[in-house]
Amino acid sequence: MSRSNDSVLVLLIALVLAILLALLPLPVFLEPLRPYWVGLVLIYWSMEVPRALPLGAAFLIGLLLDVLTASLMGLHALSLLVLVYLVRRFRPRIRFFPPWQQALAVLALLVNDRIIMLWSMIILGEPVPTWQHWLSPLVGMALWPWIFLGLDHARLASRQSERN
Amino acid sequence: MRIDSAVNNPSLAQGRPSTARLMGYLLLAGLLMLLDQRGEFVPRIRAFAEQLVTPVYHVAEAPAEALRGISTYSRSYDTVVEQNEVLREQLLGQQGDMQRLAALQEENRRLRALLDATKGRQVTFRFAELVQVSLDPYSHQVLIDRGADDGVFAGQAVIDGLGVMGQVESVTGGQARVRLISDPEHAIPVQILRTGQRTVALGTGEAERLNLPNLPDQSDVREGDMLVSSGLGERFPAGFPVAEVTRVDRETGEAFMSVDARPLAALDRGLEVLLVQPGQGMTGPDTKSAVAAADPGAELAAESGAGTSVDDSDPAAETASAPMSDAEPQAEALQDPAAELPGEDQ
Repeated sequence: MSRSNDSVLVLLIALVLAILLALLPLPVFLEPLRPYWVGLVLIYWSMEVPRALPLGAAFLIGLLLDVLTASLMGLHALSLLVLVYLVRRFRPRIRFFPPWQQALAVLALLVNDRIIMLWSMIILGEPVPTWQHWLSPLVGMALWPWIFLGLDHARLASRQSERN
Repeated sequence: MRIDSAVNNPSLAQGRPSTARLMGYLLLAGLLMLLDQRGEFVPRIRAFAEQLVTPVYHVAEAPAEALRGISTYSRSYDTVVEQNEVLREQLLGQQGDMQRLAALQEENRRLRALLDATKGRQVTFRFAELVQVSLDPYSHQVLIDRGADDGVFAGQAVIDGLGVMGQVESVTGGQARVRLISDPEHAIPVQILRTGQRTVALGTGEAERLNLPNLPDQSDVREGDMLVSSGLGERFPAGFPVAEVTRVDRETGEAFMSVDARPLAALDRGLEVLLVQPGQGMTGPDTKSAVAAADPGAELAAESGAGTSVDDSDPAAETASAPMSDAEPQAEALQDPAAELPGEDQ
């Protein structure tokens, strides 16, 4: 069977779940800790899947997220564009890092993403997030290995079931 | 729209994405943000897109709804009985208040007639629930489960049991997005209840703080002062509690004081809200002499959701005057008739 077709369904399901998790109501004190679910899924997608996620798709997913969360139109689009671009750019290196180093790379990506968001908000005169929102990348890093293993596993399972 | 053509060109799939394309998309995103921030053009696209994504909210809401359902269902009989008793007591107390209010309204109406002041406008409420999804924490907006189909319109004032919450920003068929008063882009005209002085309360981006930047240095304002909506601007009906002053900072040499206030509404933890329906019965003859105060007790007994009618109404006298509710303190109306004039600045 063709490998190019593999696991798109799994990834789309993961993406939908990530979007729903982004909308899940949390207690006020947990709100700043919410990891960037969609960002994490797109990092995985760009890093592990041979067929690249087109930048245009990242842009559209970002716009969808902007509409859903009522954030500034284009904010998440910008953030996801940069995320996907950077992962694709450094993919050959990041991919063969040992897991802990890869988690650090993910942290760097997520922190960079925060900086970009903060920067665009300041330029446009939007409200600036509180310091607690810098904790979200740390949560993202802690979750990364599990997301990585989980998605790898799901893709493998779906491929095997297809073969049978 | 043309997206990367990895299918047509397999070599692209493995390689680096093109920087030119990135720049193009980045520019587009930047342009969108700029336009959205200025409120040009993009809000219309967003309103349309919101129509399309409404089902997503229903799915996203499901887990929270289920959780709430379980917690309601599993509540013990005793707790429910206890709660019922408390609510009954509360209702009784409030019915008593309402009876007094009817008398006060009548009195207020007569005093206003004596002063030839502006007339109150009828206000009714409609119940709505928050949609249990979490929006961007920086945007200070919430979703409610009533939309254009229920007569909700952009600009409509939203309150909860404690105070003013915000105003409707956009509506779709079955839902509406509400901008809270804590949003940095939001400003609400208020009045200090004790002195009658008018000013504007701006959102700060923090749920627990509003800012009043326009109070001159010599104004009379203290910590603990209650701020009510002044009714200027015609968005929010007058007399609803908005916030309580928490900090007054007089800096010598500054023309304006720095005053902070804490919103009274449960902005970040409420579940139910009330939509303020503006005056009905605006047509019809002048009923100045008619004693038309509805019986509020009977109104209260009506089903929730049907809305409670507060305020007697005089359909006349709406020309360019601020809508004044009778919930406003009467003493002030007596002492300070000048405060009835809209548009003055203090």
